[in-house]
Amino acid sequence: MTADKEKRRATSREAARKRRRVESDVFGDLSRLLPLQPSIRTHLDKPSVIRLTLSYIRMHTLLKENAETRHKVRLHPVVVGGVERNHCNGGRDEKEAEESEASEEMSMYLRTLEGFLMVLSTEGDMIFLSDNVTKYMGLTQTELMGHNIFEYTHPCDHEEIRHNLRLTAEQVWCGEKRDFVIRIKSALTHRGRSANLKSATWKVLHCQGRVKVCMSPSSISCLLLTCRPLPLSHTLLSTHTFTSQHSMDMKFTYCDQRVISLLGYTPEELVGRSLYDFCHTLDYNCLSKNHLNLCLKSQSVSGQYRMLVRGGGYVWVESHSAVIPSVKSSRSRPITHQPLCILSVTYVLSGVEEPTLQLSLDQTIHRYLT
Amino acid sequence: MSAGGSDGTADRAADPAVEEEGPSEAGPSLPAVELPRKRKGDVEERSDTPVQQGLDFQMDDDLSRSEGEDQQVKMKCFREPHRKIEKRRRDKMNNLIDELSAMIPACQPMARKLDKLTVLRKAVQHLKALKAGTSSAFTDTTCKPSILPHDDLRHLLLRTADGFLLVVSCDRAKILFISESVSKILNFTRLDLTGQSLFDFIHPKDINKVKEQLSSSDMSPRQRLIDAATGVQVQVDAPVRPSHLSSGARRSFFCRMKHSRVAGKHEDKHSLPSTYKKKDTYKYCTLHCTGYMRSWPSSQLESESDIDKETSSLTCLVTVCRLKPHVSHQPSKDINVKPTEFVTRCAIDGKFTFVDQQATTVIGYLPQELLGTSCYEYFHQDDLQHLAEKHRQVLRSKEKIETKCYKFKTKYGSYVSLQSQWFSFTNPWTKEVEFIVSSNRLVLGPGHTKDEEEAGSSNALQDDTKQIPVIPSISSGIGTMIYAGSIGTQIANELIDSYRVNSSPSSGASSPFGAALEKCPLVSPQTSRSASSREEAAGTSSQSQSESRTAAGASSAASESTGEPSQLDLDNIVVPGLSSFSSDEAALAVIMSLLETDVNMGQSGDFEELHWPF
Repeated sequence: MTADKEKRRATSREAARKRRRVESDVFGDLSRLLPLQPSIRTHLDKPSVIRLTLSYIRMHTLLKENAETRHKVRLHPVVVGGVERNHCNGGRDEKEAEESEASEEMSMYLRTLEGFLMVLSTEGDMIFLSDNVTKYMGLTQTELMGHNIFEYTHPCDHEEIRHNLRLTAEQVWCGEKRDFVIRIKSALTHRGRSANLKSATWKVLHCQGRVKVCMSPSSISCLLLTCRPLPLSHTLLSTHTFTSQHSMDMKFTYCDQRVISLLGYTPEELVGRSLYDFCHTLDYNCLSKNHLNLCLKSQSVSGQYRMLVRGGGYVWVESHSAVIPSVKSSRSRPITHQPLCILSVTYVLSGVEEPTLQLSLDQTIHRYLT
Repeated sequence: MSAGGSDGTADRAADPAVEEEGPSEAGPSLPAVELPRKRKGDVEERSDTPVQQGLDFQMDDDLSRSEGEDQQVKMKCFREPHRKIEKRRRDKMNNLIDELSAMIPACQPMARKLDKLTVLRKAVQHLKALKAGTSSAFTDTTCKPSILPHDDLRHLLLRTADGFLLVVSCDRAKILFISESVSKILNFTRLDLTGQSLFDFIHPKDINKVKEQLSSSDMSPRQRLIDAATGVQVQVDAPVRPSHLSSGARRSFFCRMKHSRVAGKHEDKHSLPSTYKKKDTYKYCTLHCTGYMRSWPSSQLESESDIDKETSSLTCLVTVCRLKPHVSHQPSKDINVKPTEFVTRCAIDGKFTFVDQQATTVIGYLPQELLGTSCYEYFHQDDLQHLAEKHRQVLRSKEKIETKCYKFKTKYGSYVSLQSQWFSFTNPWTKEVEFIVSSNRLVLGPGHTKDEEEAGSSNALQDDTKQIPVIPSISSGIGTMIYAGSIGTQIANELIDSYRVNSSPSSGASSPFGAALEKCPLVSPQTSRSASSREEAAGTSSQSQSESRTAAGASSAASESTGEPSQLDLDNIVVPGLSSFSSDEAALAVIMSLLETDVNMGQSGDFEELHWPF
């Protein structure tokens, strides 16, 4: 009896092994077709292979249209420097040269931008990520591609992401733009090495991009985004910027001397006053959104808003801000109790517009003092 | 951490217990036949050998069996959650297979659901077909393979970012390289721009700014760097070593660049960049340029200069210039669509602190004429009651309050009908109302006939007698102008009170005031009358009105229960020079102190009987 049972078990095991072998072979074929480096390819597990295949197919359908229209355009000979270049008949060499130029330009672009490219489906699947994502998130392109973004972002930001992914038909056709800030997991340590995902920290990413749609085979729309971590790094600040520090309610606690030449107020006048007092009322939406982003996500890029200039008029500005601990961390004071402040770098974009217009009480002072 | 965050090699949530379970369940009797199969599959997944090696099967089987027997006892406890984990993994795999079958055109017309192996085989075919149809770059292993051909990726990127790559030399701002996408953004072709001087294309006012950003050796002492870690400003006074700037030194600035508007070249009208100034025939758009400095040693250049000198090396700025999207900035459509709306902002006592420039077209006053004056001075007396009520309401509510139509006095004496929406802005940190924003709309036509009639009828009565309508808790028989301004302050006082009561219930300062308010509602008009009469005598403008109160507040805020008559307090008022306006709280503190002294003077008096010589 047991011998019989064992025999049956042995045959079933053999059959199972055979099935698995066949399956693995097919997986192997599939992974070989994917344009991956051999070293990465060998380390892939089955779900990853499927994920990457999915991404590959999706990106192809997405770009196929784009490529077709481009190639159509190029059917007309392009006169470049007096020499006709007809890409339709381009030989292999020319295409290669173009490819390498394109790849170099692209890598330079991504490096200069200090960010990576992300293509998001309307369900939130990260269909594509450029390979420098490793530098910012600590996880490789192949690990992340195909996964859903909701698995990697802060739960409080999910609503905002969903809101940005919600697209009406009109928005899709217009290629509507998107601009938002989210927190994403980053498995990078302080020194820049990749750590385990379990010890990941939150990183603030500024995502900008637009909607793209492709019609065939089925109309799929997705979001193309460039994501960059907001830098507060060494930047040469020009005379048209000033830095300021605020308490968490946006009251100035410190301001750069340059504000005198840009806005007319001295830093002493500004300290203790709220930022909202010095901005055009119609921009309060922009300001409060910025403020909220700061409180929730600790970094923010405001849109463009107007700051009132002493004596009348206003200038267009944009601020990049971050929340930092206002005192140096010490062992005696636990991190949670540290007072926070907002550090803000404001770029002045324009000259003074409408210099005779007085919109706020603060602007009138100038008149009487001189 | 969510379970989805798996990396390539371990296809499960990183959990040491789980990893152990994989090979070890050979021993115990399992009902399902599938499980052993999966288990052994796990082993092969976790190993580092390539997926397609089948030779390891035999070895793995033996290994797993022995391991399983060893850990059989321990693993019995983990069986339950392990099954769940296995199930989850299977479900995930099945989901992926389903998604894959949805994407592959060959799988779609099938009536029944295909099994895993078939789907995979079809996927392989599909990929082969795709590869055959695209460029040869995929099979070219010399350049780094990536999921997409580089050309497509570049187009994707540039379409996303609405930007272009720009390389300019630092010494003469010559454009050394500019990417193709510039034609889409600025409408100049690549050829037009390469080799030109950058300054030809930048707005004249930004030229200095850009010059500064390009300069690498000229270090002004006002350079500011911000330390990334602490956010503290690092002041650099000494000139920085050129090597610090030679590569990696980042630049970030905004500038305005010319863009020519050639009809027909725009693909989509919606991407018209924002323009701030028309100069000649050009329009400018704002670009955000971020990048870094890069220098090449002169040995690579054909230059006659000394190779040792660093200054002769070519330094250039590599930046990405992106068009700024005007996404979140637009004011709500309501304001644009409806005609003649304007926004005002006032302090909690109703004094204007901000007036939109469009107000002038409606009410005739210039913004600066209104600033500092109380809105109640312009309201028609019939509306005072209802507006005071709304004022009170808005200070206590977080929602938008709609007023009914009311009359607002214009500069020329006539009245216009307005309807407003108020809401108060509360400081989220101190929880106090900081100001009230009012969105005012001009109302035309007979929409408010009923109100008008009522107002008209009461007007007829009141024209002769100049009788002031009764407003709950505020009433007196005094002239309109002076009285009106005080309504706002009193309402504000109530609010300040309520804050004080809420924050410090034990303070004695508020309660006598509160009590006095109920008993003697006429206290405030009297005080403000005397105060304002005093100030009128002084002959200063309305701005100084609050100034003197501020000063008085500073001097007598502490005196809460002095027996001094109000007259003496006013004598102490010194009209200061016009320093900056301090918060209205100081002004309100004065009012309160004055009121309290009045209370002490005559507590039980019934002021309605008093006849004021006016």
